[in-house]
Parts: sequence; C-alpha cells; structure tokens
Amino acid sequence: MESGEYGDANGLVRLLDVHRPELMRFLTARCGSADDAEDVLQEMWIKVSGQATGPITNGRAYLFRMANNLVLDRARGRRRSMQRERVWLEVEGGGVAHMPEDRADPGEPADEILAREQEAEVLRDAIASLPEGAQRALRLYRFEDIGQKEIAEIMGISRSGVEKHLALAMKRLRQALADCGAFGAVASEEHGEQGGGKPRMEQGR
Amino acid sequence: MTSVNDQILAEAARWHIASGDDAMDWDAFTIWLEADPRHSAAYDEVALADGVLQEHRATLQDSAPDTAGKVVPLTAVNDALSRDTAPGPAGGGAEIVRPAFGKRTRWAGMAIAATLAAVLAVPQFMAPAAQVYETTAVSRKIALEDGSTIVLAPRSNLTVEGRHQDHMALSGGALFDIRHDPDRQLTITAGGLDISDIGTRFDVQAQDKLVRVGVVEGKVEVRSGSLAAPVQLVAGKGLSFDGRAGTASVAAVRSEDVGAWQKGRLSYDNAPLALVVTDLRRYAGAEVAVPDALSDRRFSGTLVIGDGDTALRDLAQVMGLRLGGRAGAWRLEQPAR
Repeated sequence: MESGEYGDANGLVRLLDVHRPELMRFLTARCGSADDAEDVLQEMWIKVSGQATGPITNGRAYLFRMANNLVLDRARGRRRSMQRERVWLEVEGGGVAHMPEDRADPGEPADEILAREQEAEVLRDAIASLPEGAQRALRLYRFEDIGQKEIAEIMGISRSGVEKHLALAMKRLRQALADCGAFGAVASEEHGEQGGGKPRMEQGR
Repeated sequence: MTSVNDQILAEAARWHIASGDDAMDWDAFTIWLEADPRHSAAYDEVALADGVLQEHRATLQDSAPDTAGKVVPLTAVNDALSRDTAPGPAGGGAEIVRPAFGKRTRWAGMAIAATLAAVLAVPQFMAPAAQVYETTAVSRKIALEDGSTIVLAPRSNLTVEGRHQDHMALSGGALFDIRHDPDRQLTITAGGLDISDIGTRFDVQAQDKLVRVGVVEGKVEVRSGSLAAPVQLVAGKGLSFDGRAGTASVAAVRSEDVGAWQKGRLSYDNAPLALVVTDLRRYAGAEVAVPDALSDRRFSGTLVIGDGDTALRDLAQVMGLRLGGRAGAWRLEQPAR
C-alpha cells in the first residue's frame, strides 16, 4: 500500500480496501456469520494481492463476484463431503449409521461414481420435463455458453423473458436435486414438509 | 413445500441468474440476503444445483436433443456467468501480509440498519445503468435524487453509479454539495484518488493524475494506493495530489476560492504552470502549449476567465512570459533576454 505503483494487483487491493465495509456486510449476510465473512475476506485479500489481472472494467462488481464465488466454493465443498459420508454410510452400514471414522477405508469410491451417475440422471429428467422455453434457454445458456442477451435475440424474446426462463429452470433443477437429498439433512430442514425422513438418493431407474 | 419457501426459491433463482450479468445489483442482493436468513440457504441450493449441472455438462450435452437449432456457439464471447473465483493462485512467491480487517462493531450497526431498510426494499434485479454526464463549453448542474447537487465544470466528465448514486468517477472539475445521509457514503474516484464524504461541500479538479480537492464545509477523506494513510480534509483545507510522483500536500484554502470557477475566477497559490494551463483549457477554452522547461514554474494569483485569451495574456504578463503562436494554438515562451 505504501508503494507508489499503480500495478493492477495493487489497484485491486486498494479497491478491496475501499469497498471492504460493503463486502463485509455482503459476506456476513451471505455466510450467516461474521467469522466466516472475515475468513472469506482474508482469502480475497490474499488472492488479489498475489494476482496480476488484465484490465477490469468494473472492479467493484468483480470483487463482489469473487466474494460470492468463494462462498459458493465453500458450500460446494461442504455438500460434497456431506454426500460422500452419506453414500458411505448407506453402502457400508447396511442401514445402520456408523460414524465415518469407524468404517474401513472405502478405497476407490465406486459408490461415489454411482451417486454421480444418479445425479446426472436426475438432472436429465428434470431438464426434459421443463417447459419448452425454459428448456431451450437453459440449453443455450449452460450447454452452448451463450449469454443472456444473445439468447434473447436467438429466441426472439425480451431479456427479462430469458431471465424468467432461466430462473425457472434453475429452480426446478434445485428442486429435483433436493428431492433426492442432494443438499443433505441440514438443507432439507429449511424446507418444512420435506424435513424429517432421511433423504436418500433415488435407487435405479 | 410451502408457498413461502417456493417464493424464496423463485427469488433466489432470479438472483442467481442476475448474478451472471454485469449489471447485477450487489447492494440490493445484500439487502435481500439480510432480510431473511433462509434467503442465503435458498440461494446456495440454487447456485449449487447450477454447479452440479455444469459438472455433468459433458454427459447431459451428449444426450441433448438439438432444440437450439443451428446455433453456432459463441463460447469465447459469452460466458456471462464466469465461474472463476479469482484467476490464478495467490502470489508467485511474493510475501503475503495479512491486513488487519476492521472491527466487527463497525458493520453490526450497518446490518441492523439494513435489515430495517429491507422491509421496504423491492427486489431490483438490475442496477440502474451508470449515468454519464459530459460537458463541453459550459458547466452543468446535476441534481441527485436525495437533493444533493453537483456543478460539473466545462469540458469535464462525471459518471454516477450505484443504486444510491454513491459511486462516481470524475475527470475534470466539479463542485459537490452533498446532503448528509448517515446510510450512504459517497465515493468519488478521480485521477488515482478516492474521495469519500458524508455530507459536505467541496470542489474537485482532476486532470490525468493531478488532483486537487478543496473543502468548504464538512469533512472528506482522501485515499490512494500511493498514500501511506488516508488523509482527512476539513473545511478550509485543500489537497494537491500528484499521482505520478506519488506526492500529496495539504494547505489552507480560502473558502471563497473553492469552486470560484463558477463565478469566472481561478485562484492559485504556488501552483505549477502546467496545472494553471490545464484549468485555462477547461474553463476558458484557451489552447496553450507549455514547454517542459516551464511547466514547473509556480504561479500565485487570481485569473478572471473572461473570454479566455484575456486570462492567458494576464497569466503570461504576471509570469514574465511571452505569448507566442496564434489564437487557438498559443504557446507560452521564455522571452529571449
């Protein structure tokens, strides 16, 4: 900070400092805890201070997106480890819950592969049962990497129409995954009627 | 699944889709998250589901019927939702020093205030587009929604962004008259300086990396990567910043001189000639070249803008310089002795 340089990384660090209160507020709301928010902020600081970037047009948005993605990475990690434990419990415990530490080394996780195949299956079905517009928008967006603006042009509908299609698609995908326990017991508590029973992956189709 | 949860998930999905766009309104998203702790969990699930979808992309894509028709993928151009957190690992062996991040008490109050605000906040998914004001030969008065006003100097450019019109970028000159609002902090970026304020009256002149800030009322804070610490400027103080040299100096200013360009006067105290000439170009439309050898000569005094060339002649006379060239392409020269 004391140096007189205007390097890109330096500029981002400065920007991080300027927007720190807003980012902290965002991260606290996003993580649900001030401690986690500070951890993420530290992680951001380390990333931007070591990073050389190309020109960034909107630095503030860049930092918020980075913060959001870091929080998502953490959530993704939590979900994966939760899922892994559950799969092991189901396969090895034969219905009796063992602590993951108690069981033998599972070796190559064939069961995980199975779980992932089921995951893909669930998604395939969910996509197939989307309304036509939502399905098409989703395929363009996620499988063809086409931006929202261009999708609007291709489909001949408004930007907000595209947003609605995509939001519906996302909501349905989330529902399909939640219904087969992809977000674990903690997440299903959040959703009233679904709570209670232990969520399991759907078996064979 | 209750309808409330369904509603939350629908909103979460819209936010997730909006976050893939550059126009994402992060402030409004923050307020939405703060409004209900379930919001963040719902958002996580939607975003994770999208992540799972992308993990399975190869598998799902193969079996996909071609509903898209003959669309050429625009891969390089359009990955709107970049999933990259921050490209690259931290540091190539560079020493990493952890800064001390702010105290928690500071945002605790903000969070409460924001929760109250959230009751009234209607989800707004796109931030208003940045407003860009550009002046030519005459100045222009800009009224912000909260009653604050800005007089933008001639030949200047001001960009106003943010849902609360609280992020601005200035090139040129402007006199700010900002109303006090405890919930908002205005930040103005100008020539490598960040100027923050909460309700005050001050003037900013920024050309390239030369910035001057003069405060008439209240207090502003000035930061820059090349300043070791933020500088607090109170009423009656002015700061001159040279971003190339990384230097800044604070001196007293007379409040009647701050923003006096509005009344057709430019006052200087020991200002480099290059800077005076920059102002004459902006305020008087006088095009004049200054040889490098003269650009650091100092000028103190007041120029009356008038028709431009008059001010230029006055300047040359006071400085003991000769005005060469012709109208539209003047040149300040050291007279031969």
